[in-house]
Amino acid sequence: MNIAFFAGLIAYFAAMMLQITGVALGKKGLTRLARIAFAAGFALHTVYTVWRGIEAKRLPLANQFEFASGFAWSVAVMGFVLYARLRQEWTMTVAAPVAFLVLSYAAFQPMEIKDIMPALRSTWFALHIGSATFSYASFAIAGGLGVHYLIQCAHGRDEDETRMKQEDYLSYRLICLGYLLLTVVILSGCIWAEQAWSAWWSWDPKETWALITWILYAIYLHQRLRMKWHGKRAAWFAAIAVLCVLFTFAGVNILLPGLHSYAV
Amino acid sequence: MKKLFSFLRSMTFGMILLVAAMAFSFAGSLIPQQRAAMEYVERFGADAAKLILFLRLDRIFSSWYFILIVVLLALNLTFCSIVRLPKTRRAGTALVRAAASAAADHPLRAGQADVLRERLQKRRWKAKTSDGQTVYVRHLSGVYGSFLMHLSILLVLAIGGAVLTMPEITDITVMPGESFDLQDGTRVTVERFQIEDETGKLDYASTLSAQTKDGRTLTQEIRVNEPMRVGGYKIYQQTYGTAGKVRIHNADNDATDTLHLTEPCFLSIDGRNGVFFHALYPGYIQGADGSVTLVTSTSGAYADPVYEIQSVVDGSSTPVLAFPDETLTIGSVSFTMLEPDAYPGLRIKHVPGALLGALYASFVLMIAALYLCFFAAPAAIRVSEDGFALLSTKEKAGLLIEIETLLEGDL
Repeated sequence: MNIAFFAGLIAYFAAMMLQITGVALGKKGLTRLARIAFAAGFALHTVYTVWRGIEAKRLPLANQFEFASGFAWSVAVMGFVLYARLRQEWTMTVAAPVAFLVLSYAAFQPMEIKDIMPALRSTWFALHIGSATFSYASFAIAGGLGVHYLIQCAHGRDEDETRMKQEDYLSYRLICLGYLLLTVVILSGCIWAEQAWSAWWSWDPKETWALITWILYAIYLHQRLRMKWHGKRAAWFAAIAVLCVLFTFAGVNILLPGLHSYAV
Repeated sequence: MKKLFSFLRSMTFGMILLVAAMAFSFAGSLIPQQRAAMEYVERFGADAAKLILFLRLDRIFSSWYFILIVVLLALNLTFCSIVRLPKTRRAGTALVRAAASAAADHPLRAGQADVLRERLQKRRWKAKTSDGQTVYVRHLSGVYGSFLMHLSILLVLAIGGAVLTMPEITDITVMPGESFDLQDGTRVTVERFQIEDETGKLDYASTLSAQTKDGRTLTQEIRVNEPMRVGGYKIYQQTYGTAGKVRIHNADNDATDTLHLTEPCFLSIDGRNGVFFHALYPGYIQGADGSVTLVTSTSGAYADPVYEIQSVVDGSSTPVLAFPDETLTIGSVSFTMLEPDAYPGLRIKHVPGALLGALYASFVLMIAALYLCFFAAPAAIRVSEDGFALLSTKEKAGLLIEIETLLEGDL
C-alpha cells in the first residue's frame, strides 16, 4: 500500500510543477491540470492514510512519519477549502508546494507501522494531535502566502492591490486559526500530561517550543492590531515565523529530545 | 507615577515582556535544566558553566527573573484590562452610533441597496436603530474577545500557579499485596502489578483496591493515562522496579523469613557470616566458551534474573552469581534466592476539586475568547441608496469581501 503514498507524493509534485508553470506562463489549462493532479494526490494520500489507520487500528498520527503525513494532509484539505471559497489561483500556488514539501519530509521518515506506546493511548490523543496538524497546516500555508506575497513584490507583480490585500488578509486569518488551534493543542496537552504523568507542565522542549511559537504569534497578532502590520512586514513575519513552527514540529524531535521523544 | 502606570499597562511593555519570556524560554530549551554542576562543566566548559550557574540559567523557569517576567506580564494584563473595560463595554453601542453617522464610502448602484438589506437580514445581521438610522449589526459580543482573552490568561496564570504549587505529592513504592493509608483514612492495597500484558507487550499496570472510611470499596487497574481517583486524591502508576527476594532459614531455631532486596545489604545473623547482596540483573548472555555477560537493564520483565552476591565466612568473602531457587548455606543459615517481584512506584496527589474545576473553566474561557477575538468580528453596516458604510472594531478586509460576495452579480 506504500505505493499509494508515493503515488500521492508524485501527484503533489506534478501539481506543484504544473501550477507554478501554469501561473508563470499564464496558461489556464496547466493550472486546471494542476488542480486535477492535486486532487488525485489528495485522494491517494487519503486512501493511504485510511489504510494505515485500519492496519494500525488507531489514528495514524503516532510518530514523526504519521504526523508529517497528517500535517501534509491537513495542508491539502485547507488548500482545497481555500480554493473552493476564494476561487483564486494563488491559493493553489501556495498549497501545492507546501503539501509536497511536508509530505517529502514524511517520505524520509521510517514508515513501518508500530504499536502505539502506552503513553499515547488516551482519549486526548485525537484532539491534541489532530489540532496540532491543522494548526501547523494553517501556519505553514500562512508562511507560504507570505513567501508568495514577497515574491510578487520582488517581481513587480503587486499592482493588483485587491489581490495583494486578499493574500495579506488570508495569511492573517490563517494565523488566527492556527493560533486558536495551537491554544487547543497546548491546553489539551496540559490536561493530558496531568492525566498521564501527574504534571501539567514540565518545560519539556516540545512544550517550551510550543509556548515560544504561541508567544511569537501573539506578538504578531498584537503588532497587527497596534502597529498595523500589513503587507510586506506581515508577509516577512509569516514567512519567518513558520520556521519556528517547523522547528517545534521536527527540529525539537531531532535536536532536543524530551518527553515527546516518541514523536520521532 | 501616572507615567509609570501608563507604561506598565501599555502594549509596548507587554510586547517587551513577551519577547523576554520568549528569549528565556529559548535559552531554557537549549540549556539542559536542573542538572548537576559537573554536567555543565563537561558540556560547556568550566567558564561557561560558571556563568550558567551564576545566572541561574540551569533553572531558568524557577529563577527570580523568569517569575518576575510572568508577574509583570500579569500586572500588565490586569492594568490594561481594567483601564480598557469601560471603553470595551461601550464599544458595541459606539460602533452602532458611528455606523449610523458614517459616510457611505462604498458606492452601490441603483437597486442594490434593497438587495443588500435583504441579504444581510437573510445572513442574520440584526437591524438596529440609532439616531433615526437603520444599522445592521453582527457579532457585537466580539468586542469582549480581547478582554476575555486577557482575563482567561490571568486566570490560567493564577489558578495554574496554585494548581502547580498547592498539591500534596507523595511518591511511594509498594510491593504487591501490601497496603498504605491516605490522609482521609482510605486504605489502598496493591493487589497486583504487571510490567507486560498477557501477550508480552509492555503495559505497566497496578490493580489497586481502595477501602474508604465510609466502607466503600473501589477496585481499578491503573496505568499511564488511567490514574485512580478516590476522594480528592489521584493515584498514578508512576514508575516501577524489580526487587530481589530471599528466603532465609535458620536451622538452629527452625525459623524462616522472606525479605525483599531493593538495595545492597548484608544478610547476617551474627554480623560476621552471611550473604552480601550487591545487585539483581534482569538476564545474562552465555558465550560459546561458557562465559557469562550480565544484562544490566531492561524495560520489560526480568526474563532470566541473576543475583550478584558474596558469601561471607569469618570475614572472607567469595563472589557468587546465583539464580532463583539456588541456596547458599553458611553455617546453620541457608539463603535461598527466589524469583524476583516486580513492584510499582505510585504517585499520590491531592488537589482540591474546586481548583481543578476553575482551571478547566479558564481553559474553556480562553478558547471561547479566542473564538470571539478572531471569528466574531463586531461589525455594523448602514445601507443608503447610493452606498453603504461598514464599520468594525477589527480588520474590515474580510467583511468587505463578504459583502462583495453577498452582492455578487449585482455589484
